[in-house]
Amino acid sequence: MSEAGADREKLDQTPNQAADQAADQSSGGDLQSLASSITAMASPFRNYLNDLHEKYRSVDEGTVADYIPELAEANPGWFGICVVTTDGQLFDVGDCDQLFTIQSMSKALTYGMALEDHGREYVNSKVSNEPTGEAFNSIVLDEETNRPYNPMVNAGAIATTDLIKGKDGTARLKRMLSMFERYTGRSHDICMPVFLSEKSSGFRNRAIAYLMLNFGMVSDRIDETLDLYFQQCSILVNAKDIAMISATLANGGVNPATQVRALDEHYVQDVISVMLSCGMYDASGDWAYRVGIPAKSGVGGGILATVPGKLGIGTFSPPLDVKGNSVRGIKVCEDLSKDFGLHLFNVASPEHNLQDWLSGNTDIDHW
Amino acid sequence: MPKVISIHSYRGGTGKSNFTANIAATIALQGKRVGVVDTDVPSPGIHNLFCLEPEQTTHTLNSYLWGEISIEEAAYDVSRNIGLSDDAGGRLYLVPSSVKADSIARILRDGYDVRLMNDGFRKLVKSLQLDYLFIDTHPGLSKETFLSIAISHVLILILRPDKQDYQGTAVTMDVAKQLKVRKLLLAINKVYGQLNPDALKQKVEETYGEKVAGVFPLSEEVVQLASEGVFCVRYPEHPISQTFRQVAAQIDQG
Repeated sequence: MSEAGADREKLDQTPNQAADQAADQSSGGDLQSLASSITAMASPFRNYLNDLHEKYRSVDEGTVADYIPELAEANPGWFGICVVTTDGQLFDVGDCDQLFTIQSMSKALTYGMALEDHGREYVNSKVSNEPTGEAFNSIVLDEETNRPYNPMVNAGAIATTDLIKGKDGTARLKRMLSMFERYTGRSHDICMPVFLSEKSSGFRNRAIAYLMLNFGMVSDRIDETLDLYFQQCSILVNAKDIAMISATLANGGVNPATQVRALDEHYVQDVISVMLSCGMYDASGDWAYRVGIPAKSGVGGGILATVPGKLGIGTFSPPLDVKGNSVRGIKVCEDLSKDFGLHLFNVASPEHNLQDWLSGNTDIDHW
Repeated sequence: MPKVISIHSYRGGTGKSNFTANIAATIALQGKRVGVVDTDVPSPGIHNLFCLEPEQTTHTLNSYLWGEISIEEAAYDVSRNIGLSDDAGGRLYLVPSSVKADSIARILRDGYDVRLMNDGFRKLVKSLQLDYLFIDTHPGLSKETFLSIAISHVLILILRPDKQDYQGTAVTMDVAKQLKVRKLLLAINKVYGQLNPDALKQKVEETYGEKVAGVFPLSEEVVQLASEGVFCVRYPEHPISQTFRQVAAQIDQG
């Protein structure tokens, strides 16, 4: 009999048996995890982010921060957008592996740690929660209580950093770094040139610290606390880290990828609400009204934006507007808020349904 | 709305590239704007069918994946090579992979960001205003195949009537389900003379619970044309060409 003939003999059982054997061997976990990462790569939501990246890549407004030389070296063309959902799906486009210093975005996290270390009442007695309407580095304290206005401006951030517990500078830094690691899921380095530059030229921050010492709002370990403050601002992150931090806050303080708790659930509301009222420097009021996503920016070019219960956004693009917020980052947050109805108080049906775009289940014409 | 169709098989030698070339040409000849991307980076070949010589192709998918060019620059208009006149509505574009050993080695050694494939496909569809994009894949399962399956509106799996293909197709279908493929069609190729095509079709459909879009004979005529030229352009009235038109119609259904 010919080979073909032999095959024909077998045909009655072959397709069934062969298919069954293969099905028996298919297991769940690994296939599912690879499939989900591939689905994220091809999801309509990622394509949406890609289009946003394309749309705003050519924007050439804003200037790169140059108050220390290390920041001025940033390439104004760098542009990354990352979104992490509260169930751990990650979408990134553009320069999302490029490291930069976290700068003021660290203030939100340090505030959370200070709350864990001392409780709300004590922390509130040292730092108020009022927007200033002044520039981030202004030297103003509340006239009646002598407290800095809020933990998102330099004065308030130095006061919260002062509250971080630890027997010495090294112990406090290590606690802080391990906190960042719980948020992002990976360990972080400090950019030494940026830290040393900030330290050697931070006269204004030093002045703020001594003013607060004068009013008894900070302890007398000024140099140690300022070092810690400059170190926290010099932590190296990328846009994915920022999105993961945002998503951790959005997920009630638990990192959605590692399931590690980064922040006591009682203080998640404190951190997010201060971001909403004070996070975007003196553009915060307008931001809360128009965009409605609690956010914190940094002069390194990052914006961390948290949509509670849904997702975290991390953007990176160094050119800043006059208020110190990343120009492209603002535009990205504005579009996301509008198109997916992410404004905290939005009740109208958005143009795009977030779940549909994330899952890609429906036939969305993203081609 | 543009349609993206991946042509895949678990094993090599099933006739993927031939199938892709024929189905793409069939649709282009019906007046549609069609693109074909050869993502079989380790062993490219479909350019031969469209008579595109490697010397002419200075820009390839490889150069796009390395960030040297935009993907449109690697798209060659091969409409004339399938007998489409310039004023015909239909167009056929091919994005070839490089056949240079050096380029293949580089991509195998360094890899590439698979997401660029996705972004490139979208860009291509938009800038060339394509109605259909066909993705000719490397056999077996890899990140690239996963991606092309995930982004496709239609996945066509080609199998031959033998045990290895049956088993491999079942595995691929598991993957496709996990990737939430929207529409799946099977095509049986190289069916030798003694088999009854209708019975085979029924049997395969029962086994996999998916539709068989076409059954193609093991054809000497196709083999003769080998990898030079597209069969259904040369012999439009041949039964095989008619089967391709049936498959084309099923791509559009539902």
